Amino acid sequence: MNGPYGPGRPPYGPPPRPRFTPPMYGPAPYGYGPPPYGPPPKPPVHFSHGVHRLHMATAVINAVGVVVIAFVLGGYSLLLTQTPDGVALVLTPRIIARFLAVMLPATVVAAAIGFWSWWSLKFWISGDDLVVETGILRRRNRRIPLAHMQAVDVVRPLVSRLFGLAEVRVELAGGDQAETKFRFLGRPPAEQLRAELLARAAGLPGHTPEAPERPYWRVGFGTLLGSQLMKLPVIGALMLLVALLAFGVVFGEPGVLAAALPVLLGLARGVVAPLVMHTNFTAALSPDGLRLRYGLMETRMQTVPPGRVQAVRVVEPVLWRGNGWARIDVTVAGYVGDRQALSSVLLPVAPREVALRMVGLVFPGTNAEAVPLLPAPRSWLAPFRKGEAGTDDRLFVTRRGRVCRRLDVVAHARAQSVRLTAGPFQRLLGLGTVHIDAPPGPVQVAAEDRELGEARAIVESAAGRAHRARATDIRTERWAR
Amino acid sequence: MNAGDQYPNPRAAQDMPPGSPSMLPPGASLGPQHGPMPPPPAPNGPSMPSVVPIGARAEQAFDPPSGMAWVRVSPKLTWQRRITVLLWALPVTVVGAFVLSRTRGLAGGLIWLAVVLVACAVGWIVAELSYRSWGFAERADDLLVTHGFFVRHLVVVPYGRMQYVDVTAGLLEQWLGVATVRLHTAAAATDARIPGLPARDAAILRDRLAQKGEARSIGL
Repeated sequence: MNGPYGPGRPPYGPPPRPRFTPPMYGPAPYGYGPPPYGPPPKPPVHFSHGVHRLHMATAVINAVGVVVIAFVLGGYSLLLTQTPDGVALVLTPRIIARFLAVMLPATVVAAAIGFWSWWSLKFWISGDDLVVETGILRRRNRRIPLAHMQAVDVVRPLVSRLFGLAEVRVELAGGDQAETKFRFLGRPPAEQLRAELLARAAGLPGHTPEAPERPYWRVGFGTLLGSQLMKLPVIGALMLLVALLAFGVVFGEPGVLAAALPVLLGLARGVVAPLVMHTNFTAALSPDGLRLRYGLMETRMQTVPPGRVQAVRVVEPVLWRGNGWARIDVTVAGYVGDRQALSSVLLPVAPREVALRMVGLVFPGTNAEAVPLLPAPRSWLAPFRKGEAGTDDRLFVTRRGRVCRRLDVVAHARAQSVRLTAGPFQRLLGLGTVHIDAPPGPVQVAAEDRELGEARAIVESAAGRAHRARATDIRTERWAR
Repeated sequence: MNAGDQYPNPRAAQDMPPGSPSMLPPGASLGPQHGPMPPPPAPNGPSMPSVVPIGARAEQAFDPPSGMAWVRVSPKLTWQRRITVLLWALPVTVVGAFVLSRTRGLAGGLIWLAVVLVACAVGWIVAELSYRSWGFAERADDLLVTHGFFVRHLVVVPYGRMQYVDVTAGLLEQWLGVATVRLHTAAAATDARIPGLPARDAAILRDRLAQKGEARSIGL
């Protein structure tokens, strides 16, 4: 039987294949195990037992941050003196003494703050909950039921990569406050924590080794660059930029730079930022869910456990269709606000078949392509806008967009509610829009401008199918039990 | 009932055998254990030109589920809206009339007064129409709420999807003895609220919904 994300530990039905490999006794065969030279490796941390704190370096990093702020706000100006020529940096003993008199206490305070922030955060795993305790004077104790965990990310910002540190983020459904961050842990402990949280959430003992993964897709840099450039707005902006520069050169008018600069910034935001973010994008499948790794400056390792994806959109911009490329956006309940923009892409660019197979992996046992779609009726008011919608027992699928084609997919088992709306113009034409509501995210599924009688029938059928789908839906809270 | 009955168009029946995924499933497939039967499918196939007058269908689309009637809210909702309109109109009238009579003379002030009066009259009528559009129905597994006069809405919220239910009552609502019941799901777009319920009924409805939600609760 195939697991929700390819073969591996089957989530239900047949007893799970044991993931625990017995320890190897005696000397390891040549080529395996740690090298016989160098310092002996530290024993791995087990987060399932005992109380844990963040990496010690967190205190240092926090303290350095406070010192830098103090320097920028106050210390810097103390080093400068007003001379007849203007402001200059003159280092006399008196000025240095004055500087140190301010900065030394600031450093002590910063060290205290850093130590305090490190000391005050404790976390441990108790039963099925992750408990995070913050504060010393005013204790705040937060219990996170691991069964409700939506995603676990290991993020390594550029600075922390230099120190071999990583940040672990645990996403829960339920708003902006529902994220729990552990910044920073050492890199191996961070990955160990992630593995243990996932194993615990799956209903396995915490010492279970990390589930094996199978690479699914890797996005090459050339493809990524090409995909970012082959967008109509980007090409438009590039042409505008070239035209502006040509105008500036021909007429010797430097004023066009003022107009070219915003275009350039827009291009940096629209092309370079996603390029840097999604460099080295790899998607892998494991019994614990989808694993995504990406990033040039800041590397992220995202794990989305089975059944956490709420809705999926396959986007095919018009220029990509020649190459048969597509992008997948997803709604995962945990990511809210700016984290959503950072983590809403499941595949930045991939061949269409690969993308659609990915959709089949996200909603196991379904085929979004095979769902028969029916076009919305044309009317004199909207002769060109023609969305299509269709449903089977598992999925609700809509397709729309002529220039940028979009295929929205939501599983009935994930639908939160079904809505029918009809504005005054729509009612004049006897049309209505059916929304299948998903948690907030980039993907919102709606069958637009359906004939009203049909729309009501869609609502009723979607409600009924959602009910049956929920009843038969494999419980994903403990996917390994 | 055979397959031909479900698809009046014989070709459609051939194209889509019963049980195959389709936009418009036969109503019978929902099964009696899932609450009252939904209304029968529209007489025509989904994408075929309609022979029934559009207006009639448009009204049917927001009808209560078959065999049920919309539970209406308290008529005090109308008065709540009307009082709100008046409370808004009062300062708008005074300030606007004052400014206009200063700059444009007495005629300006009078025209402003007339405009506000017309707006109030429209608000007065819309309050009644909007009150009449509110209705809800509790089915076995989900709650249906309909509202809206200009833009009509119909929301179907499964009890199992409710995260929490709350009852709110503003100052005016408290004075009128009504309250608003609001259902929250994980989707922000689910705008399922029932205003203008008598306070007691609201509390009872909240408890009943919460109980049903508890019994059918599932994760996300």
